[in-house]
Parts: sequence; C-alpha cells; structure tokens
Amino acid sequence: MSGRDGRAGQDVLRRVGEASVLILISLADGPKHGYALIHDIKELAGVELGPGTLYGALDRLERLGLIESLPADDRRHPYRITAPGAAALRVHLDSLERVSAAGRLRLRLGGI
Amino acid sequence: MDEARATRLVGAVLRCYPARWRRRHGEEAAELAALLIRDGTPAGSIAWSYLAGAAREWLTPRPGRRLSTLACALLVAAGSLGVSAGLLAATVPAKAAVTSPAPRPAHCQPGPPEPAAGVIPAMGRPRVISLEAGHGRSC
Repeated sequence: MSGRDGRAGQDVLRRVGEASVLILISLADGPKHGYALIHDIKELAGVELGPGTLYGALDRLERLGLIESLPADDRRHPYRITAPGAAALRVHLDSLERVSAAGRLRLRLGGI
Repeated sequence: MDEARATRLVGAVLRCYPARWRRRHGEEAAELAALLIRDGTPAGSIAWSYLAGAAREWLTPRPGRRLSTLACALLVAAGSLGVSAGLLAATVPAKAAVTSPAPRPAHCQPGPPEPAAGVIPAMGRPRVISLEAGHGRSC
C-alpha cells in the first residue's frame, strides 16, 4: 500500500507513526526544512521531535510519495507535501475524527 | 558540555549512518544539530536521537541495500544470544551434578520428597503435600 497509487479512502497513514502525521500536518501550510519543522511541531502539538526521528520520518514519507524534497536552499532541504500526501492526511484526519466522536459518545453513554 | 565537544559528539554519531544517508542528509543534519544545541537542546539527547535513527536506518531493509549486510548483523545478534543462552543452560545442570544430596535418616527413605516451600514442581503430576509426624524439614 502506498500513497502513490492514489487509492481513495484508504488510511495509508495509519501505520506510519505519530511523527510522520505531525510532519504532514506541519507541511500542510507550506514547505519547511528540518529546523522549521521541529519548531512548528513543538508549537503545534507540544511534541519535541528528535532530529533522528525527523529524518527517519521524512525519508519514509518521501518513499511513500507523500512529500517531496525541494532544491537545497544553502545546505537545507525544504520539503513539500504532495497531492497524494494531502489526500492521505485528509483521510487520516477524517478517520481520527470518527474515532474521537465515537469515544466521546461512549463516554457520555457510560456516564463517565 | 561545550559547543566544540558537542559538535564532535554529534559528528561521531552521524558517522554511524550508512554512507548513502550521510551523502543525502549529513551536512544538513550536522547544521540542524548545531542550531538545536544553540537553542539549548542537550547535545546528549540529540546524539541519542541520531544514534537510534542510525540503528533504524541500518536495520530497515531497503531495496538497494545488499542483503548480506543485514544478514550479518542479524547473525551476529542471534549468535551472541545463542551463546549466552547456551552458557546459561550449561551452568545449571553442572551445578545440579556437583550438589550431592544429604544422607537421609532411615524413616525418610520410602516417602516421596517433600516439595520445598514456594517451589512449583515443573512438568510433574500434581502432588499432595502432606505433613506427617516425623517428616519435617529435617528430612
């Protein structure tokens, strides 16, 4: 299963890990390089990504065709979300919303 | 840790990555580490993150990577585990063999051995623990 094949409706991000999802969310509003990604994700989610985790996730997302590397600006490579990446992120966020709604409903039903 | 030492530490850890990764990300990764250190991130945590990343990079199968490298790493890991387990298994029967049972009084001979308190007999049928008169701990 890959982001490249464009199979609509499949949550390809379910198994890529939290770091990859956070990177895609961070790139959703424009290209960023590693340092900007780490700062943005810290502000966005309160998660401090280690640089090793960051590069691992970037490589994985690039292999899946969900992001692409832009020409280097000095030594920094900015990354951009691709169209399949944006579609995959939308599907994943929809799925999270459904799970979240179901969880809240069950909490209400359980009277907790 | 001063900045020069921190940079050296990160540089050493970055050399643990495969050459292909270093060609692609090496310079940028070193610069990112320098920026994070300047921001106050401990060099140790940066180095640790890169070290874990390097381990993942080596252990994740890639289409272009020669399988022999991965196979060697797995063989070394499995071999060291096997040797440890073998040594452990060899020491237990050896200890049991050199420990001779203490001579028992005559009135203790026919009965089954009393299980030690808290020890579950492995692979045996269930035993009923009976405490008869004269068959206490001295037997």
